[in-house]
Amino acid sequence: MNPTFLEGAPMSLIATFRLGTRLFWRDKAVLLGTVVTPVGLAVGMPLLLNVVESASLATSVFQSALSLLLAITAFMSVTVALTAQRDQLLLKRLRTTGLTDGQILFGQIVSTATQTVAMIVLSTVAVRVLAGVPLPDDPLGFAAIVIAGSVVMALLGAAYTAAVPRAELASAYTMPVFLVAGVSAGAMGPIPLPDWLEPVLDLLPTTAVVNAVRTGDLAVAALILAGWTVAGLVAIRLWFRWEPRRS
Amino acid sequence: MTAIEVNGLRKSHRGFEAVKGVSFEVGEGQIFALLGRNGAGKTTTIEVLAGFQRADGGTVRVLGLDPYADRTALRRRTGIMLQEAGFFPDLTVAQTVDTWRGLIAAPRPRDEALELAGLAGKRGTKVRQLSGGEKRRLDLALALLGRPDVLFLDEPTTGMDPEARRATWGVVRDLAGQGTTILLTTHYLEEAQRLASTMAIMDAGEVVAAGDMAETLAAQAGRVAFRMPAHVHPADLPLPVTLEGGTAVCRAEDPDLAAQTLLTWAAERGLRLAGLEVRTATLEDLFLESAR
Ligand SMILES: Nc1ncnc2c1ncn2[C@@H]1O[C@H](COP(=O)(O)OP(=O)(O)OP(=O)(O)O)[C@@H](O)[C@H]1O
Ligand SMILES: [Mg+2]
Repeated sequence: MNPTFLEGAPMSLIATFRLGTRLFWRDKAVLLGTVVTPVGLAVGMPLLLNVVESASLATSVFQSALSLLLAITAFMSVTVALTAQRDQLLLKRLRTTGLTDGQILFGQIVSTATQTVAMIVLSTVAVRVLAGVPLPDDPLGFAAIVIAGSVVMALLGAAYTAAVPRAELASAYTMPVFLVAGVSAGAMGPIPLPDWLEPVLDLLPTTAVVNAVRTGDLAVAALILAGWTVAGLVAIRLWFRWEPRRS
Repeated sequence: MTAIEVNGLRKSHRGFEAVKGVSFEVGEGQIFALLGRNGAGKTTTIEVLAGFQRADGGTVRVLGLDPYADRTALRRRTGIMLQEAGFFPDLTVAQTVDTWRGLIAAPRPRDEALELAGLAGKRGTKVRQLSGGEKRRLDLALALLGRPDVLFLDEPTTGMDPEARRATWGVVRDLAGQGTTILLTTHYLEEAQRLASTMAIMDAGEVVAAGDMAETLAAQAGRVAFRMPAHVHPADLPLPVTLEGGTAVCRAEDPDLAAQTLLTWAAERGLRLAGLEVRTATLEDLFLESAR
């Protein structure tokens, strides 16, 4: 990423942000996959458990489901959007404007992260009203970790596009990420995992966010997310492709 | 002032050398045509000049800057019509231009850009409903939005109807008149001949002919063509000709003089030179001769 990527153009940044947002809300297929499905899961599962079990179990399941929202609404949707724009030579065209490479990516990442935060807020309110899940004790801390988690997952999704050969494969390629994020945060139900694996999975950004929400301890999560941020930026710098592969 | 300087440019795509040591210069406010067959390396050269690809060798300067290293600074001063790039298909023409205006510092007003590109009547049409030539016009509108100092046009008029093409020539000329430096590629040699003051013909990654358009063409042989009269052998003619089907073609520095010689010869023998055609060299002649 260019060190001068914010130089003199907050207007441009707002423009890319708006562009990303506008395209997101226009695409019905993307909305179904990255909004309706995860929000449905994050609200529906606690709702069901509140009825058949208890509010405390519903709370725990909702917290786990945050990993799904992050994996789908942030990571997957940015991967899908950027690979589509890459393969349609839209990223290439965006580079013909006055925008820097950093601004183009940053606008998309911030736009996706904003949608993710909005979905999480919406789900949090919905499960409070519908499933008796209490609002977070520390709303500011909750907001901070959710925002940070959304930005980091969107950043990682942007970096991950380098691994996706073609846009049609974007959803399939992000599936494993979604599964690992869900399983490791307990969102797929109690799946027995080997002892050595758990501390490793705790290092995932999604698990870090879920753990922070559960325990209220933000420091560890902040450290983990900072590590992933560096990894994401380095990966983008090294491998990000602005045009489809021609071989 | 030189606006574009290319010196010994080399560029390979995974071992395939697409551009092999190309050099040329374009002065400020000039229109320069980069010509050559499919695969000659024109797009590769333009994309290096516009900072999309990094040169493997040689030096390239646009407005005194390195297009790859200084691409942030340069992007604000250049416009480019790529040979191929996408649009957001669900936006209308007006929405597309408005979106792009938001990404450019000090853009032209939307209607001015649409007017220049001849798209004023299509404001409300969705991009996915535009015809091929209309999409090309939208491409042009976007390239002109930022009032660039240097404009790269990679096959700007491909797919445009004759009227739109002429209108585009007018726009290009006006911009050059206002000081914009323009580098264009085209397969319409008439277009290049009419627009450009200098040119280079590339073939297989190398420049095979280059220079001032008028001078180069003046130095080129003209052509006299006529249908070969029956029972006449090429060796009987006063000037050497080549046969292209039933047509005899004579190349000469001064085609008028050659035509006179041939007509006199024919008159003496009571022959007619049917379908006689006399013309000075065109860029097409030069192209077909150089790009072999
Ligand atoms: N990314 C790439 N990977 C591999 N080969 C490439 C790539 N880009 C271009 N080439 C090759 O380099 C050569 C030059 O391509 P280029 O696009 O510059 O030609 P061109 O002169 O613009 O042709 P046209 O008139 O058809 O547009 C071609 O043979 C092409 O196959
Ligand atoms: Mg080309």
